[in-house]
Amino acid sequence: MREQILAAVSTTFLEVVEQLTFMFGEPVHKSTLLDADGDYVLAQISFTGDVAGTLSLAVPGECVPEIAANILGLEPEEIEADAMAPDSLGELLNVICGHVIMAIAGKGADFRLGSPWVVEATPEFLAARVDDPDWLGFMLEENAVLLGLVTE
Amino acid sequence: MAFNILLVDDSVTVRAVISKALHLAGVDINLLYQAGNGQEALEILEAEWIDLVLCDISMPIMDGETMVARMVDNGMIRTVPVVIVSSAGSEPRIQRLKDMGVRDYIQKPFTPERIREVVDNVTGVASHA
Repeated sequence: MREQILAAVSTTFLEVVEQLTFMFGEPVHKSTLLDADGDYVLAQISFTGDVAGTLSLAVPGECVPEIAANILGLEPEEIEADAMAPDSLGELLNVICGHVIMAIAGKGADFRLGSPWVVEATPEFLAARVDDPDWLGFMLEENAVLLGLVTE
Repeated sequence: MAFNILLVDDSVTVRAVISKALHLAGVDINLLYQAGNGQEALEILEAEWIDLVLCDISMPIMDGETMVARMVDNGMIRTVPVVIVSSAGSEPRIQRLKDMGVRDYIQKPFTPERIREVVDNVTGVASHA
């Protein structure tokens, strides 16, 4: 059952990311992330209702302006890195979360999304996710990213 | 006919994307107002003539559902069309909102074509391509 849920989460994640950012991805083993250089950013959103929990997305910091630019139809240089980029990443996670919940609980599920928040992800946090069964690994273009779904 | 449209979403990204989609869809816009939550939107609705509200559900301070409830209380929901634009569109909630008077629902992510379709249906005026 858990594997079916994670498969639905994986498919939904890749579909929404492609639609919103025009970036293509594929599932990879999470250990790929251990080889990644640079800082990571962690976006999280909580949800309540028929299904409750938290969805998290960790992406390389240098990739966030590109995500924002693709969503907004701008060039990465036009993105205000401190303001617009985190907001865009939060919005991406917001949309992913809505679709993930409906994928695992059905369109009839009644739920509420909280406001997304974005923080820096420490290397220790990321390393601990590699063996965490609630987290999935993806290669998004050239970027190793992690998606975590924790339900109550 | 040029419309005064109010965008209600706490994300500046979403407001920028909707604004761009409206222009790409050829919707004739007179004035485009923006609010970061339902409370700000109600203040604009009290002060300005608005032809259409495009509103998110999940927002801090006042969410979209509460904003619609206030518009039901003051009767504004009968004269100002409200369309929900959200990724949290579970069927029970959308039905509740439609029962309150919300005209339509646009699920994120959306296309300019979907925006235009809904604007045309809600306003009863075909937009220019």
